[in-house]
Amino acid sequence: MINSYDWEGGNEAMLRFGPDTGPVVLIALPLLEEANRTRALVITVLRMLAGHGIGGALPDLPGTGESLLPTSEMTLEGLRSAFAAAALSLGSRPVHVASIRSGSLIDVQAKAAGRWRLAPQSGPGLLRDLHRVQRVSELGDTKADALVFAGNRLAPALIEALDQPPAATPGPLREVAIQSGQPDPVIEGPALWRRSEPGNDAAFAERIADDIARWIASCDA
Amino acid sequence: MVPEGKVEVEKTVRATLGDVLGLTPERVASFDDETPLFGALPELDSMAVAGLLTELEDRLGILIDDDDIDGETLETFGALTRFASAKALQ
Repeated sequence: MINSYDWEGGNEAMLRFGPDTGPVVLIALPLLEEANRTRALVITVLRMLAGHGIGGALPDLPGTGESLLPTSEMTLEGLRSAFAAAALSLGSRPVHVASIRSGSLIDVQAKAAGRWRLAPQSGPGLLRDLHRVQRVSELGDTKADALVFAGNRLAPALIEALDQPPAATPGPLREVAIQSGQPDPVIEGPALWRRSEPGNDAAFAERIADDIARWIASCDA
Repeated sequence: MVPEGKVEVEKTVRATLGDVLGLTPERVASFDDETPLFGALPELDSMAVAGLLTELEDRLGILIDDDDIDGETLETFGALTRFASAKALQ
């Protein structure tokens, strides 16, 4: 179901899944290109969570998806504020935030019963990626505009905000990696966010949905 | 460093190529030192190169200076594995 929510800068669309009562998972997709590469996976996860009796919500944020705000006017502040408003719009149900990659930069202001993060990426990490894409794509091209990254024009304020240390978040937090050798718990699966063509992986989605469902149960216990 | 380190790096490079380019496990398993990459795999465009380098950094715990990368580094699977080993096992 396509729903919408209001935030101080306007109104944005929000996909809704599962039951209308009980816990609900609000998703923060990664910024920019990685959002396209992970959307199919996230939708599969939300459908599976609905099978666990858990609601789901996937908001467009100002400057993303169907939002009328141009990407070049997107700010981290606006993304955070709209995401927090999306959480409030879900009412009195327990809202659990799940973010993918750089979505962890967006979820910080939301009032949430808990935060679950898959392979979180820092702002400086994302910036490094953006600059690398810019340099590699410049190889066969003439000199690119300094504020255009892989075809996206970004606001200087966004670039500046990404270059900051991580914001602290209150409440329970679970961070999950996709490969061993890191301190975080692991859910094995492919790095779909790196793929040149967007893909999906039902078995990976199932492991994610199971982990989120267990995490929610442990937060509510 | 011990030779098993090199085997581990090759395994990681193989898996990373498969993940980033969306190749089947059978296809990446068939790669040997002479398998041509850049220019031969249509999936490996410049955007994919950027993703591949970053993912190798994450998985091998290395830092790659983009100035170190040229056409030869990505010419074959063997060349890429040697480059990654030199970074990871130094």
